[in-house]
Amino acid sequence: MSGLFGTLSIALSSLGVSQDEMATTSNNVANANTPGYSREVSDVAAGDPIEQGSLSVGTGVILQKIESLRDPILEIQLNQSTQQNSQLNTTLAQLQTLQTQFASSTSGLGADISDFFNSLEQLAPDPTNLELRQSVLTAAGNLATDFNTASNSLQTQRSNIDLNVTQSVGQVNALTSQIASINQQIGNLTNAGQNPGTLVDTQTNLIRQLSSLVGVSVIPTDEGISVALSNGTTLVSGSQSFALTTQLGTDGVQHIYSDSQDITGALTGGSLAGLIQVRDQEIPGVGSDLDQLAAGLASGLNTANQAGFDLNGNAGTNLFVPPPVGGVGAAGALAVNITDPSRLAASSDGTSGSNGNLAVLSSVATQPLANGETPINSYSSIVFQVGNDTSNVSADADASGLILQQLQDQRGSVSGVSLDEEASNLIQYQTAYQAAARVVSSVNALLADAVNLGLGAAVQ
Amino acid sequence: MRVNPNPLPDLLAALNQTQLDAQEASLQIATGRSVNEPSDNPTAAALLVVNNDQATFNAGYLQSLTAVQGQLSTADSTLSSVTTALQQALSLGVEAGGGTLSASDQAAIVTQLQGIQTQLLSLANVSYQGNYVFAGTDTSTAPFVSGTSPSGIVYVGNTDVNQVSIGGGYNLAVNLPGSQLFSTSGSDVFLAMTNLIQAVQTNTGIPAAVNAVTTASSYLSAQRVFYGNAIDQAQSQTTYLNTAKLQISQQQTTLGGADLAAAATNLAQSQTDTQAALAAISKFSQDNLFDYLQ
Repeated sequence: MSGLFGTLSIALSSLGVSQDEMATTSNNVANANTPGYSREVSDVAAGDPIEQGSLSVGTGVILQKIESLRDPILEIQLNQSTQQNSQLNTTLAQLQTLQTQFASSTSGLGADISDFFNSLEQLAPDPTNLELRQSVLTAAGNLATDFNTASNSLQTQRSNIDLNVTQSVGQVNALTSQIASINQQIGNLTNAGQNPGTLVDTQTNLIRQLSSLVGVSVIPTDEGISVALSNGTTLVSGSQSFALTTQLGTDGVQHIYSDSQDITGALTGGSLAGLIQVRDQEIPGVGSDLDQLAAGLASGLNTANQAGFDLNGNAGTNLFVPPPVGGVGAAGALAVNITDPSRLAASSDGTSGSNGNLAVLSSVATQPLANGETPINSYSSIVFQVGNDTSNVSADADASGLILQQLQDQRGSVSGVSLDEEASNLIQYQTAYQAAARVVSSVNALLADAVNLGLGAAVQ
Repeated sequence: MRVNPNPLPDLLAALNQTQLDAQEASLQIATGRSVNEPSDNPTAAALLVVNNDQATFNAGYLQSLTAVQGQLSTADSTLSSVTTALQQALSLGVEAGGGTLSASDQAAIVTQLQGIQTQLLSLANVSYQGNYVFAGTDTSTAPFVSGTSPSGIVYVGNTDVNQVSIGGGYNLAVNLPGSQLFSTSGSDVFLAMTNLIQAVQTNTGIPAAVNAVTTASSYLSAQRVFYGNAIDQAQSQTTYLNTAKLQISQQQTTLGGADLAAAATNLAQSQTDTQAALAAISKFSQDNLFDYLQ
């Protein structure tokens, strides 16, 4: 086909394609600030030429497809980086809460331990003094109360995290169900030969959100994508999603199940892994250290107090309520056993004026506990441990934040909408449209000339 | 390479960082400490716990020493009075042994010597803050009471000694049992006095009795050195602890004190950075090619 009608047809194809291109630009501009949106470009090609003898004549332009620009490798890196960053930030936030109760060196448990042993020293020069004896019991009471408080706040934090875990699992289920449903829509569109671009963006965005909750890997399949946890547990396969469930474990916290399998310990990445790490490792670790310290102090001081005699010459009793066997829960249960200051066994020989057993009580401060460290050094080690863990996670979180930021910049450079670029494209498409319209108008004039060929006057 | 068309998240992250820096610097200035939570410097935070322990004990030892010094001084000055009384008894004994006194003068001396004996008993039963100083550790009852013995006075205290920790691993013995001071065999103060009174009463063997009092007095003076030494040790330990107190406080500052000049500089710097980040964000306008299209 050639001739004027051929030219008209070519111009019409140009008008149509230019309109589609402008629509694409318009959509990009509209979604310039849509999270996860990947800019679209029109993929146009010249129409197949027609052979006319020795000539090959073009047939205009066709729009092959509208393509979303994204880098699949970058998206995978972003998912991984999001998982890591989210895990570290969640862990960090929890550790920062945890470390607040170890923040002061002049108050709190460490100072309580120092104050208690110092009160024994104060009693030594005047062992019959009831006020000084009461000071020892008061210091012991403060020590017990602060152990209780520390233990309680650990428990409270653990319960709060536990609640958070349950909520996060709910969010994971909601996201996987949405991802599965989009899988189906994408499948339908692809089967119909249509571009699923923005749906893929939405899905990618959902996967990003899922990544901030839990570590997953995304595998392309014939039915879209399948999403699996790092241990292989499938969350999404085609249009199906598999919900995780939570159930209270024997350790008093919620465990996460896939079908009937407990996968709590197998989760990596995302805020869930961070929460579980603090809930199941950091807090129990610190709690156990506090328990051992409380139990060691209580047992040591009980034995020491029993070795002496009180103000009335009676054999000493337990200074603290004996800690549970094995020490588990000792910090939370620590309580002073005696209320009468005269019951403090300062005497080593049964006379009221003897202070010999105070040295035995004091020696608990310098003797190693079960962990091989003195009480104050044990506490100091806990402070170091909590501080060091927090500091390390903080440094890792900073580093991972920078990596995530760089990846997001890279994604922006590939997929982000540039308004300048769109404006420039718009000029181009507008000009092309105007030129094609001019061609139509020229062809129209020529056709009129052809229709009126041989007549004196031109058809207007 | 195509640039990221939206640098706003980067600018916001930068702003967040400068504000964090400013917050940290302000906190250091406000608290005067560089370690406000363990993660600021885990090693220093752990050492600060030990440092506080040392400071607490150092202050405690100083307080113990003050308490101990009162007790030691009481004992020392009491023993000084005992020595004076014994010197007085000696003079009286020498006077009585001179052989020139009338019977009534001798009787007067006996009365005086009996007065001294009573005084010695009350000195030996001296108490400090309600506790008998020379009773060993049995401080709740008077250690010297009337009873069956050659001197007529028996020691009912015990021979235990109390120790008080005074820092640096030192323990200070804070008492000598009264039995060791007043009723050691061969230097028994009360027996020597009883014998002297008897000798003057009967006017026989006065020189030997005077000698016995001299022996007891010398022995007591020698024992008193214990208290002198203890007081000296308490004083020198007080000096040492006061020096240590400064060192501990210095160490605390080194470990956890804020470098205020540096913190102030950091604050100023982070404020400048914040201004720069804010300016950058405000300059990142929506100025683009569309604005120029007609």
